Amino acid sequence: MTMQIISPAKVYPVIVIGSGASGGMAAWNLTRQGIEVVLLDAGEKFDRATYWTHVTPWEARERRGRGERAPQFFLDTRESPYATPTGRPFELTRVWGHGGKTNVWGRVSLRLSDVNLKEPARDGWEIPWPIAYADIAPYYDRVDQLIGVCGGDDDSDILPGSRFHLPPPAPRCAERLIQKGAKTLDIPFVPTRRANRTRSVRGSIPCHYCGNCGAGCDVAAFFCSADHLLPEALATKKLEIRSNAVVSRIITDASGLATAVQYFDRRTGAERQVRGKVVVVGASCVDSTRILLNSTSRTHPNGLGNGSDVIGRYLCEQIRFHANGYLPALAGGPTRNDRGIGGEHLYMPRFNHRPGHTRDYLRGFGAQMWNTGASSGGAHGGSEKIPGFGIGLKQEIKRRHPAWFEIHPYGEVLPYADNRITVDAAKLDRFGVPTIRIDYRVRENERKMTEHMADTVEEIVKAAGGVFVNYNRGDLDGNGTAIHEHGTCRMGDDPKRSALTAFNRMHEVRNVYVVDGSAFPTATEKNPTLTILALAWRATDHLAAELKKGTL
Amino acid sequence: MRRRDALRTLTASAVALASSRLWIHLLAEQDWAPAILTAAQNDQVVALTEAIIPATGTPGAKGALVNRFIDHALADAGEAQRRAFLDGLAWLTDHSRAEFGTDFATSAAAQQAALLTRIDDDGPVADADRPGADFFHALKGMTISGYYSTEIGLRQELGDDGRMVLAEFEGCTHPEHQG
Ligand SMILES: Cc1cc2nc3c(=O)[nH]c(=O)nc-3n(C[C@H](O)[C@H](O)[C@H](O)COP(=O)(O)OP(=O)(O)OC[C@H]3O[C@@H](n4cnc5c(N)ncnc54)[C@H](O)[C@@H]3O)c2cc1C
Ligand code: SF4
Repeated sequence: MTMQIISPAKVYPVIVIGSGASGGMAAWNLTRQGIEVVLLDAGEKFDRATYWTHVTPWEARERRGRGERAPQFFLDTRESPYATPTGRPFELTRVWGHGGKTNVWGRVSLRLSDVNLKEPARDGWEIPWPIAYADIAPYYDRVDQLIGVCGGDDDSDILPGSRFHLPPPAPRCAERLIQKGAKTLDIPFVPTRRANRTRSVRGSIPCHYCGNCGAGCDVAAFFCSADHLLPEALATKKLEIRSNAVVSRIITDASGLATAVQYFDRRTGAERQVRGKVVVVGASCVDSTRILLNSTSRTHPNGLGNGSDVIGRYLCEQIRFHANGYLPALAGGPTRNDRGIGGEHLYMPRFNHRPGHTRDYLRGFGAQMWNTGASSGGAHGGSEKIPGFGIGLKQEIKRRHPAWFEIHPYGEVLPYADNRITVDAAKLDRFGVPTIRIDYRVRENERKMTEHMADTVEEIVKAAGGVFVNYNRGDLDGNGTAIHEHGTCRMGDDPKRSALTAFNRMHEVRNVYVVDGSAFPTATEKNPTLTILALAWRATDHLAAELKKGTL
Repeated sequence: MRRRDALRTLTASAVALASSRLWIHLLAEQDWAPAILTAAQNDQVVALTEAIIPATGTPGAKGALVNRFIDHALADAGEAQRRAFLDGLAWLTDHSRAEFGTDFATSAAAQQAALLTRIDDDGPVADADRPGADFFHALKGMTISGYYSTEIGLRQELGDDGRMVLAEFEGCTHPEHQG
């Protein structure tokens, strides 16, 4: 009988956990600088040849009829369960596999500005960001060029411009009318900024405007870590990827420094370890937090680097609602092909901080538009609200088909110490690792902001001549559904109130970096991934420099 | 209230079913037979869905086999939802027999329209007609989900060009829409 012994003897310069936006960027930036990396990912590579991207809805139906199945990107919660208090659900969306959530993300790529970054210091709610726009700006420029972001040439206090945008897709008729209406209220809508390659980037295939990005892109025309970072990193020959490696703990020595990472083989359940000099954590906010909280030891009794007790606290994302309706001015027109880059071509940046606007709450909101125009999914989810039946109903559904609009405002949720992720030693997963509990709710500030969001949307729709369908003022989407989790391992200047330095390194463990959204002290009203990429690049530049100095 | 909740869940789950695998199977089957509905009930459902989305220049719900979709949705639903739907269907059948002396499917178009107008809850509905109205509301939602998920509904009726590969996205070119 032979026994396979995986020798833990080799000490890798860097262990990266996770291969999504954050981990993929870390691996890419370190390996291209000649640093050897072992990357542990909980899943495998998804096979682009099997995607259902350029498939019409009715072809998709036929395929299902033949018993075919589209790739399943999303993690089944039963595989890695989490608990929430009764009556307070939190809908956690995870993708375990190479590229993580960037396989299916919405691609909205917005720069934070000093309005966002300096606001906590100004309004005094929780800790300030330890960095300003000027610190991130050079990295935003590099990320835009690397991943390919389309967008306009607009530049404002809230949405800093970029010299590197690819051409934005033309707006659809319905979007134009919303924009025109909003303009009369002095509320601008600008070309959306999204990581869709409307032009080739270093030889890649440009976007075909099939609008089906949610199915994954079979020609890799939008940014996905697995398509655009990992292959280049592998080409350096400095990267080793271990798939199906579900990390449980970071192991430390007597001095409290990280020495190894423990993981379980997702298929066999076998326990493994890998040793390294530095650990970079990028398993996405909630899973990274779980790993850190489960990494207890004599020197880290409260979880790795958590002497401050901030890790797991201050979970924050965004509140959002859907305002749907149709624009009578477009009704009865021809059905255009409105698929585009899947989702909105125009974006409403935040405006409530500008002179002439008042607010009785902190922070702000922006808005996306998703499926505006002729919805490729068929009759819009609202057609059943059209009165009557018979020929009249059929004609009216057809008449409204090109005229639908959707507005989806996203508002910042403040960080609260008791919006919290904890681990429960009494509830173990199938590997025997404590599972998480998420306790999260929104409060008075968010309630007031929701009112302003609703007022704004209602004014815009009125100005655009739209009619709401199925809109219930005040109905918020479920917590967690913005899929922008932040705050549970935040960066800051004060080690008593933050877990990471301004370079994403743990205050208490100098050879551990945490590079995903958990590092953000605030959620802001924006989608985080562009900033996650920029900060992961910046953090690993810092790491590489420290390695070279020999200070790790 | 419980009845309405049950019907509401049924309509909502039909939205998801519209893209399910079985629905396609059902469309393709040569000798399809309902799993839940009796032959008589199926006839009523065919007539009802066609009354909601009739054939015009394009096929209606009957041509798109939306009755199969509804039978499938019922097979997939919970017992309470199925009961609520079948009770509603029975209510409608009883009323058309009592009022027209024949089943809904075999009554005249004008009679059908009069009964449906009464239970269409977009207008005023008498208390006595409430069970019929709740049923009709659910049926309408399911019929729309079924019909507009077929190639007939999406391509022939709504005019979706089905193009998934474009070199450029033209967008809005109307001068009157520009800001
Ligand atoms: C439908 C959808 C739409 C979105 N739209 C947008 C948008 O428009 N704009 C935007 O900015 N963001 C959007 N997001 C969010 C965006 O995808 C995330 O912000 C981004 O992917 C986060 O990167 P990450 O590296 O932190 O996590 P992920 O990309 O999720 O990667 C995490 C990685 O860690 C791995 N992992 C997890 N647990 C473990 C473990 N225990 N051991 C080892 N590996 C592990 C996973 O396999 C995965 O590879 C969207 C997300 C979804 C799902
Ligand atoms: S719209 Fe473009 S990026 Fe999105 S899936 Fe289609 S080709 Fe790919």
